[in-house]
Amino acid sequence: MMEGSRSGRAPAETSREAAEDARLLAAYAAGDLSAARLLTARLAPRALAQAGRMLGDRAEAEDVVQEAMLRLWRQAPEWRSGEAKASTWLYRVVANLSTDRLRARRRQAPIEDAERIEDSSESASDRLQQKARLAALRDALGGLPERQSQAVALRHLEGLGNEQIAEIMDINVRAVESLTARGKRALVAALARRKDELGFEE
Amino acid sequence: MMTDREKALDDDLAAARSEVAGEGWEMSDALMARILADAAAEMPRPSADAGRRGLWSALVSTLGGWPAVSGLAAATVAGIWLGAAPPPALDTFLAGDPVSISFTTGLDVLEADG
Repeated sequence: MMEGSRSGRAPAETSREAAEDARLLAAYAAGDLSAARLLTARLAPRALAQAGRMLGDRAEAEDVVQEAMLRLWRQAPEWRSGEAKASTWLYRVVANLSTDRLRARRRQAPIEDAERIEDSSESASDRLQQKARLAALRDALGGLPERQSQAVALRHLEGLGNEQIAEIMDINVRAVESLTARGKRALVAALARRKDELGFEE
Repeated sequence: MMTDREKALDDDLAAARSEVAGEGWEMSDALMARILADAAAEMPRPSADAGRRGLWSALVSTLGGWPAVSGLAAATVAGIWLGAAPPPALDTFLAGDPVSISFTTGLDVLEADG
């Protein structure tokens, strides 16, 4: 189930893939729009999945991907291919934008109201209960400190290794381990509180 | 040791992963179009600068290269000078109006190009 998130980016391929991404980005910066199409086809599907796993909402995930790619286009003229990989950079931007949205969602519409309505109308449905559980998970993710939230999402929703997460977040591996461990503990606690409140069965 | 609650969290995380691995999460043409519209709008435009230089070089070559342009500029300046402060002997030396001929020639070339 984690294989999908790693598609096309096995370690042996990574540097070749990164070089091709950099070449396409340079071609775009030099005025070749077809390079942008190729680059989008290479990078956007994975970014869409990443945002989708974090947000659980297709329309919001699409907005995040469009915004992330827009930032990539704007970066293109100053891109230093030796210093950053486009795919790593995109993981970071999508994680940032998605975390922002989870946090904004929490501020704008506290999940409790929607949850209780759904719960009272069709609490017998397993599907609805799973939907509610995932909504609760994402709400709790949005309630974590930003870096913890990103590290947990990259580790446990994207299935990335700690070294890759370290590269994406520009920190060392021990810091990643610490963030994911603290983040998971905080998630367990937050979800336990919610389950107690709503009486979900496990 | 994993507690029940940790196990429940792992199950939820797995469910969130597989939810998006399923149908309905493929890249759509509409999203591709939105992204490419941005790419087109943000495209760095070296071609626009080249276009501006192109207009100048086309104008210059129409006039016969830079030496001709500086000659034309010198003639124009001289014409203006002669028009503004004609030497006393000029009227007798040149019958007619050489100043207006000089201007007309330059303007015709410019207008024909533009």
